[in-house]
Amino acid sequence: MKRHLQVLLLVLSGLGLLHACLFSDLYLRYVKEQMRPMLIASGVVLVLLGVASAALDRRGHGGESHHGHDHSGVPRVAWLLFLPAVSLLVYAPPALGAYTAAREAPKAVARQSDFDPLPAASPLPITLSDFTRRVQQDRELAIKGREVRMTGFVTPAKGGDGWDLTRIIISCCAADAQSVKVRVHGGPAIPADTWVAVTGTWHPQGTLGTRSAVAALDARTVKKVERPVNAYTDDLPLVPSRDP
Amino acid sequence: MHRADGLAEEAGAVTATAVAPVVTARTGAGAEAGRGRVRFWMMLALGAVTLLDVVFFVTRGWAGTPAVQAWRTVCLAITMQAMPFLLLGTALSGAINAFVPARVFDRILPKRPALAVPVAGIAGVVLPGCECASVPVANSLIGRGVTPAAAFAFLLSAPAVNPVVLTATAIAFPGNPAMVLARLLASLAASAVMGWLWLWLGRDEWLRPAVRHTGHQEGHSRWDEFRRGFQYDFLHAGGFLVVGAMAAATFNVAVPRSVLDTFSGSTWLSVLFLAGLAVLLAVCSEADAFVAASLTGFSPLARLTFIVVGPMVDLKLIALQAGTFGRPFAMRFSAATMVVAVLCSVLIGGFLL
Repeated sequence: MKRHLQVLLLVLSGLGLLHACLFSDLYLRYVKEQMRPMLIASGVVLVLLGVASAALDRRGHGGESHHGHDHSGVPRVAWLLFLPAVSLLVYAPPALGAYTAAREAPKAVARQSDFDPLPAASPLPITLSDFTRRVQQDRELAIKGREVRMTGFVTPAKGGDGWDLTRIIISCCAADAQSVKVRVHGGPAIPADTWVAVTGTWHPQGTLGTRSAVAALDARTVKKVERPVNAYTDDLPLVPSRDP
Repeated sequence: MHRADGLAEEAGAVTATAVAPVVTARTGAGAEAGRGRVRFWMMLALGAVTLLDVVFFVTRGWAGTPAVQAWRTVCLAITMQAMPFLLLGTALSGAINAFVPARVFDRILPKRPALAVPVAGIAGVVLPGCECASVPVANSLIGRGVTPAAAFAFLLSAPAVNPVVLTATAIAFPGNPAMVLARLLASLAASAVMGWLWLWLGRDEWLRPAVRHTGHQEGHSRWDEFRRGFQYDFLHAGGFLVVGAMAAATFNVAVPRSVLDTFSGSTWLSVLFLAGLAVLLAVCSEADAFVAASLTGFSPLARLTFIVVGPMVDLKLIALQAGTFGRPFAMRFSAATMVVAVLCSVLIGGFLL
């Protein structure tokens, strides 16, 4: 690989990272928010490395012939680095959605034994994981008859009526995505990957407060909403996913 | 445009590859040794690029399908997640090469290789990062005269036993400190066993490092050497990282997680299955504890195997090792590590969990 191509590769990779992390929120489609400072630093280092290579190697090319390590023959596999760089700059793939969620078993919610009394608000904003826990684990049956409000995107359900209100949660990057789903009954048919806010009450199926209860909702209203900036979380509805 | 090689060396390269002038222009004399390997990766890269061209320009409709989009997202996610750690590792490797004199390692490590192995394994605690960082560092250690067995023990233990990863494990398994301890001990044991195994059976001819780390040369600027080493290592390892990310993304998208549940019934089958899954998923070692915690259908022993094997053998790591040490090495080493890591986690996990 020629010198100027190496320079181009380094600068493009750096710019790709900076474009995704510093000048836009693209990176939230792939990794967690906490990665941002590290990715920005990586982008800066790559750009600096490219610039230094362009500036310094031009000046001193005469004296390089007996250089100790032979670093000129960068293997052709390095060309592959153009793919993520160009991908980020020009054609960034979307965040994971219904396709991934439909192919995965729902994430098991954490076990909880003590439940606080539910706030009085109606409809009650609640996360999908919390709703599932209340339905399957709360022996006080506090969720019974309560109207709740949840947001997520639409995943077409395999067989049966309705669709799954879904959130994809990542613990590190999109490669370890897991999903939480709540089946929605009685809502209108909505195309996959649309973000919606749903209000409704628990759809009686199984015994409430035990594992036999199904996390499902009889929808009263279904409204389209903006997709959150940081979509890979199970946040409360109406709460901004990221500080402005 | 200008080439960094000496004219004499260049002339040799020209005669050797006169049939393919395009290749000559880009190949340095250093790549001469691994020409077969380079050609292999070249074909792979060409294949991948051609495939992508086809995806983008011929069947635009197909490129927009959810499966391809998900593949690209996962591929990019793995690359981005690993990028800072790869940079850290390659910068460290460049710094060791340019700034640290070889005698420092002679002083730190015990003279006898059999003793140096466990010491190097424990020294893995100091490299905070995931597995991508450790490969270039291990390579530069070998270049600086550290016995390969000790460098491999470091390579295997560093991604699993550093504080960042152990903290993540403790968070992922709350109220279960035995899991953290089991991970630490099993990883240290496996890395030490692999080091000793290399002393016993390893052959130097399997090792064909693509980069010759020669250390600081008189009359050159150390900073210049650092920068060049850093740049070369990054471009080299980065390419292989993309290969590994592509492979892992393919498995990630092609095999739905729901398939896993069919294996969770039998204890022994589930241990082997999760070990295999760790290789195929190639989740970063800082995240694998969370993935393991989510595999609730499996026994703690199987989940321990998942987090012990994952940082030592996985697709992107095999690609990185093949690029750094040569394919003959990567194949033998990964296969042996897989067996040793599964045995260590079963023995230690069976005792602790």
